[in-house]
Amino acid sequence: MRSVKTHLALILPLFAILFGIEYLMVFDRIVSSYETKLNAEYSLIVVADKTVKSNDIGHADTLIDRIETVDAENILRRIRQETSAKNMEKIKSIMPLFYSVKLRRYPDRSSLQRLKEELMAIKGVKSVHMFEKTHDPLYAMLTFMKGNFSVFALLLALVGLLLIVKQMYVWQLEHRERMQIMALFGAPVWLRSGVLFRLAIVDAFIALFLIVTGMFYLVSRSDILAFLQEIDVDPARLFSFDDVVLLAAVGFGTAILSALLVVMRFKEES
Amino acid sequence: MPSVIESSKTKLAYPRHEPVIKNATFKVQTGEFVFITGASGSGKSTLLKSMYGAMPPMEGELVVGGMEIGRLSASKLYKLRRHIGIIFQDYKLIKEWNVEKNVMLPLIIAGFPKDVCRAQAQKLLAHVKLSHKSDKFPLELSGGEQQRVAVARALAHNPFLILADEPTGNLDDYSSQVVWELLEKANEELETTILVVTHHIPEMFSADYRHLTIENGVLYEIR
Repeated sequence: MRSVKTHLALILPLFAILFGIEYLMVFDRIVSSYETKLNAEYSLIVVADKTVKSNDIGHADTLIDRIETVDAENILRRIRQETSAKNMEKIKSIMPLFYSVKLRRYPDRSSLQRLKEELMAIKGVKSVHMFEKTHDPLYAMLTFMKGNFSVFALLLALVGLLLIVKQMYVWQLEHRERMQIMALFGAPVWLRSGVLFRLAIVDAFIALFLIVTGMFYLVSRSDILAFLQEIDVDPARLFSFDDVVLLAAVGFGTAILSALLVVMRFKEES
Repeated sequence: MPSVIESSKTKLAYPRHEPVIKNATFKVQTGEFVFITGASGSGKSTLLKSMYGAMPPMEGELVVGGMEIGRLSASKLYKLRRHIGIIFQDYKLIKEWNVEKNVMLPLIIAGFPKDVCRAQAQKLLAHVKLSHKSDKFPLELSGGEQQRVAVARALAHNPFLILADEPTGNLDDYSSQVVWELLEKANEELETTILVVTHHIPEMFSADYRHLTIENGVLYEIR
């Protein structure tokens, strides 16, 4: 029972840290996937009273991906039937030029505002239409939640680390006597601390196993898959082998560093 | 005969305290059995600690097994300890390990294969009449049995020197006798040098021995 408690005291905080990291990564992927989808359907319209070089617009901001000239014929076609040829010529001569600006990624409101100012500064540009009302409220909520989750994950990691450090002190007390005796008989550091590292590695492995199993279970649940389909997120992108590598590095790294801390603090009694 | 221990004007003190040992000058030759006696607090245990490097001398020169204790790096000190057997009054057995593994400790540290360690541990446990308890844990044994395990551990790796700190201080007469017999036997048969610090030299002790005593921080030869 005591042994289970000893293990849980390290496994749980480690699990919390790994869970925080994985949750943040998954949430980030959902948001960026949703961003990509929104961005594919989103463009700004720049209205100019004279021809604007596509380079001028393209260099205005790194956010701009490409510029397409909107063919005026599409607009004129609608009014042609009810308008005389003479008037059509007049309309054509005073009609401004329209440019559709596609962006590299879906912008937040402040980026949009900055972009508008930069585009308006270009000679010939009369107005920039951002269609702010279509700026997705769900996206705004997701980005807000992403920010909150980052804070939550950071707090989780801090509390987890504090619990791990506390557990290390407990280990230090538990193993001190054994380490002292082994030192008296000349055991090298690696031998007298071997059990600590074994404990740390086993616990990190269990925490990693729990998080990986949990994630596989989550991404295979039908309700989760349905939700991902609804927001157009590829489930395969949600949890990958790279995640396992990163989580393993963080899990084993934290556990081994903690054990190292105990070993370094060991002082032989005189 | 070569000296196992050579101490010249060794002075020992705990940090921010008056010296416990002001002058310890003596030599111990290979195969000798030496008792160091003295009143409580006279510095006997401190002197013993200095010999396995837990308390380096603040002055003087203390050489054990040809190595000067005060100048040893940690790794060299650990190497030296691998050739010394130590017996403590409070046994210092590893509670989480069974009797057999406790006896195996010096052999594990020396890097012997497991089967060799196990065979040697069983041989020594038979020697101290505890073969039937090799699977037990220290807290399941009496004080006398624990000390016999500690003696077996101290002998396991055939050390050139055994240092014993009040080895029978907590034991009844029967267990004390068993411990003294084991030490005498190791001294006679294996020519292991043995240095024991104790309040009194046991009356039942029959082997040839030297006797040093500490008075007012100074070591004197009595016999």
